[in-house]
Amino acid sequence: MSSTAAQIRVKSRTRRPWTPSQIVLTLLGVAVSAVILSPLAWALFTSLKSETEAVEVPTHWLPEDWTGQAWSAIFETGNITNWFVNSLVVSVCVTAIVLLVSALAGYGFARTEFRGKNALMGLVMAGLMISPAVLGVPLFTTVQQMGMVDTYWGMILPQCAPAAMVYILYKFFQGVPRELEEAAFIDGAGRWRVFFTVVLPLSRPSLAAVGIFTFISSWNNFLWPYMVTNNPDLMTMPNGIATVMNSYGIQWAQLMAGGLMAGLPLIIVFVFFQRQIVAGVAHTGLAGQ
Amino acid sequence: MTTTSAETVIAPPRARAAVTGATTRRKQGLQHGGWFVAPFLVLFALFVIWPLLRGVWLSFTDANISGDGASFVGLDNYREALNDQLMWDALGHSAWFTLLVVPCITVLAFLLAMLAHHIERGKWLWRLCFFMPFLLPSTVAGNLWQWLFNPGTGMVNHVFGLETPWLTDKSYAMLAVVICTLWWTVGFSFLLYLAALQGIPAHLYEAAKLDGANAWHRMVHITLPMLRNITGLVIALQILASLQVFDQAVVMMDFAPGPEESTRTFVQYTLEEGFTSYRVGYASAISIIFFVLIAAVALARMWLLRNREEGGR
Amino acid sequence: MGRPDLDRSPDRGPSRRQLLTAAGGLAVAGSFGFAALGQGADALASGADTRVRYWNLFSGGDGYNMIAMLDAFRKENPGIEVKDSTLQWGSPFYTKLAMAAAGNRAPDLGVMHLGRVTGFSPGRLLDPWDVGLLRKYGVREEDFNPELWKRAVIDGKLYALPLDIHVQLCFYRRDVLAKTGLLDADGRLIPVTSTDEWFDALKEAKKATKKGLQTLGLHTNDQNVMWWFFVAFYEQLGGTYFNAANTEVTFDTGKATQVLEFLRQHVTDGYSIAGAADAEQFINGAPFTWEGNWSVPVFSGPKLDYGATPLPPVFGKQATHAESHSFVLPHQADRGGATNEAAHRLAAYVVQHAQLWAGGGHIPAHTPTLSSPKYRKLNPQSEYVTAMDHQATEPKVWFAGSTGILAQRVGPMVVSSTMGSAKPEAVARRMKGALTTLLAMKNPMDGRTAAEGGAVA
Repeated sequence: MSSTAAQIRVKSRTRRPWTPSQIVLTLLGVAVSAVILSPLAWALFTSLKSETEAVEVPTHWLPEDWTGQAWSAIFETGNITNWFVNSLVVSVCVTAIVLLVSALAGYGFARTEFRGKNALMGLVMAGLMISPAVLGVPLFTTVQQMGMVDTYWGMILPQCAPAAMVYILYKFFQGVPRELEEAAFIDGAGRWRVFFTVVLPLSRPSLAAVGIFTFISSWNNFLWPYMVTNNPDLMTMPNGIATVMNSYGIQWAQLMAGGLMAGLPLIIVFVFFQRQIVAGVAHTGLAGQ
Repeated sequence: MTTTSAETVIAPPRARAAVTGATTRRKQGLQHGGWFVAPFLVLFALFVIWPLLRGVWLSFTDANISGDGASFVGLDNYREALNDQLMWDALGHSAWFTLLVVPCITVLAFLLAMLAHHIERGKWLWRLCFFMPFLLPSTVAGNLWQWLFNPGTGMVNHVFGLETPWLTDKSYAMLAVVICTLWWTVGFSFLLYLAALQGIPAHLYEAAKLDGANAWHRMVHITLPMLRNITGLVIALQILASLQVFDQAVVMMDFAPGPEESTRTFVQYTLEEGFTSYRVGYASAISIIFFVLIAAVALARMWLLRNREEGGR
Repeated sequence: MGRPDLDRSPDRGPSRRQLLTAAGGLAVAGSFGFAALGQGADALASGADTRVRYWNLFSGGDGYNMIAMLDAFRKENPGIEVKDSTLQWGSPFYTKLAMAAAGNRAPDLGVMHLGRVTGFSPGRLLDPWDVGLLRKYGVREEDFNPELWKRAVIDGKLYALPLDIHVQLCFYRRDVLAKTGLLDADGRLIPVTSTDEWFDALKEAKKATKKGLQTLGLHTNDQNVMWWFFVAFYEQLGGTYFNAANTEVTFDTGKATQVLEFLRQHVTDGYSIAGAADAEQFINGAPFTWEGNWSVPVFSGPKLDYGATPLPPVFGKQATHAESHSFVLPHQADRGGATNEAAHRLAAYVVQHAQLWAGGGHIPAHTPTLSSPKYRKLNPQSEYVTAMDHQATEPKVWFAGSTGILAQRVGPMVVSSTMGSAKPEAVARRMKGALTTLLAMKNPMDGRTAAEGGAVA
């Protein structure tokens, strides 16, 4: 497990002496972390108050009566669990399709020849500049024409053409030594077999980075699901939390509990797959260079 | 060497290998290349290229949200847009937001990365703490800060002993959105900086130490120059992302344009025109204007990069 | 920071990797399967024969009452499952409703403000009610205020089924005002007939107010509420917006300035604190607040001793802003069958059982409920029920109606005047400019200006 590996590394370092500068820096780190994490702590404590205590004036950090009512309420009313499932379905489908499609395309652009390749590659690069934020309205009318408003596919498919991911994998495949492929070709393997049995296994780290980044951005995506889903049964977590109201008015404790529910899966995933995610974010970010 | 460690995860592009020994079999393989890119291209054409072309077409029509009955109106939409004070205001808000966010986030991310890089113990923990807010959905961040800025029961006023009407006064509203954004997104740029810092070869510092350079000198003469590329990248990514701000602003303002319309962003305005006023044609026109603007920023950056690279070599 | 994912020990790896692959494959397959079913977990789990998807924008006290009415309906109609969803009030709700209807995925039943129906493209985004079916479920035209019913009929078809009339009110605290001379022997607010009298009353009330509390809650920075107050007082002055044919702007900037200055004076004279939490202040002892009638349950909950009158006729004539909630059938290409009948049944049920809804402060549109002794006993409802005879409404054009384009354009202007960021005269001129632009604008849904489609409203 990656976290145990990290711990071992930490242990080997603790032998170093505590120099004054390290003490100062560590204290500073603790202070900064406290500032950054305090809003999350505030959300957590709010979620453990009763609704009336949450809006009490003057406000206070710790609940006087610790209660799980907000948490049980969000599970009872069911919307949150529904949205959770929807988020999972959408993110998993998007990630699977993106991985498959962009790995194929990245490889195709990097290692095969076909007519018009350079022009198409240029087109894909230009696609880096287009996002649903910029062309949301025409994209909605397109999906509307296809009859996919308020469907899972309407949410999923438009997230499945990320030029950036193709570009990242394209750069990666360019770096795979050709000799490996040559050997397989000489053994009589075809292009597809070489791709699936030689190239793909080599590229697991890059695919993991792309996959994780895609999953995060799909899980957290608000704008597109917000535009294309109106039916609360089909909404994803970020969308549902923002657009569907509690009929009893704003219930802050429940809202905070729901928000934490939406954030928790990724935080847990992050703890376990830190290095892959860090590589993934750095990777995908750096692709813009 | 100016590449960062994160970049080296992707093996650097090689010069096209000499293909003198290409076998006939491999040539056969090459001809099927189109099939590899086909699935992506289909999706790309359907959901990126076609909407773009469609957007251009719609911008010359008076299309409405029902999806039928549009007629050609020439340049009317663009003419209207140029005189549309609300559009210019919205553009101004997005630009103002960008101007506030980008410098702050760049400096903060750099400082956080320096801190996390130089603390020797528990690196993964700092990384987790500083990055964690970025893992939340934007709407959750928006809700959370709406709650923190709540005038009566919010923690911000409570902790600092203020009575600031953060979300209801036009002098503070945009600031509130900026603070939320800084908290929520600084982790991303932080990670980029951290990766870049870790990619600076240690021997550079050691050599400088031998030459008697103190910590300040090492930072000014080694760290900062080595981070120039990544800073350019962070700034560019932040500009593009900030101009497209939408999520946290609308959530914090309950989908309204903020006090006296002070936080209506450009994206919000296009969606309002398209989906709230049902004027899909007009919304398409202002989207195209926005697209041109974003593309200009992206191209300007590419042009700057190329110039600098040529100048440097 | 190492290279990702290369540290797995080779001997243990395969079995665990196979497990992971299998689990991952299962998750992917499951997700695709679920997406292919395409309904969402809740709809899949629902065992009922008929499922009515019903969208509304009610939260708070209205939300409670609506849910109570739905629960009563569910009990009487066990074969019908009602899936109610509450969306963000105001334009986000209308946006979602329109997008769903445009995408042909509309809910089976929705709620709308009556003033929005004309602009919502009846026939395109809305389907007409089956009046015969409604009658079968007990709803008859003669049981409604004819004025209200007429507004719901477009091109001879009924597009909205009115549920209520709701008005802006002047709430006052009897206990706080007891020592002042502002209450009559019955503890009712003494009528105020001019701005001077009104500000005198505020002056007197301020003396009786605890420190730190404002005298009047005014929602100074709420663009919707400010606009509603403007509409009310502008109507009191006899102001108009357009001529009868909707070809000319008749907006009177002089009268508008008068209204804007009146609103502004509450802030400059220190009777209203900008940005204050009005409802909470009232509960804590502020003597006055101007609010919609939906605040009745908010104030009745804590057992306040309070009353409510229509907004004071400070410009001489009674008029208070009024809107109306109504049920609509968002457009579905294949509307019909059991679900559609269930939607009719549900709407008819709620309209006829509006007594509970009236507890939320709303004036029922269904006259048998309105004239029932039970309703007449409600307080403070009985004190302000006359407000329905002095309705100030937005002009009847396609861009008007609660949180419609008109409100979105001019609402922030009224706020800027009340908050002091712009001069009242300048704002009045800007309002006239906005009205001129809007009058010339074509309704995007049918390509007609207000003048061309004027007769519809």
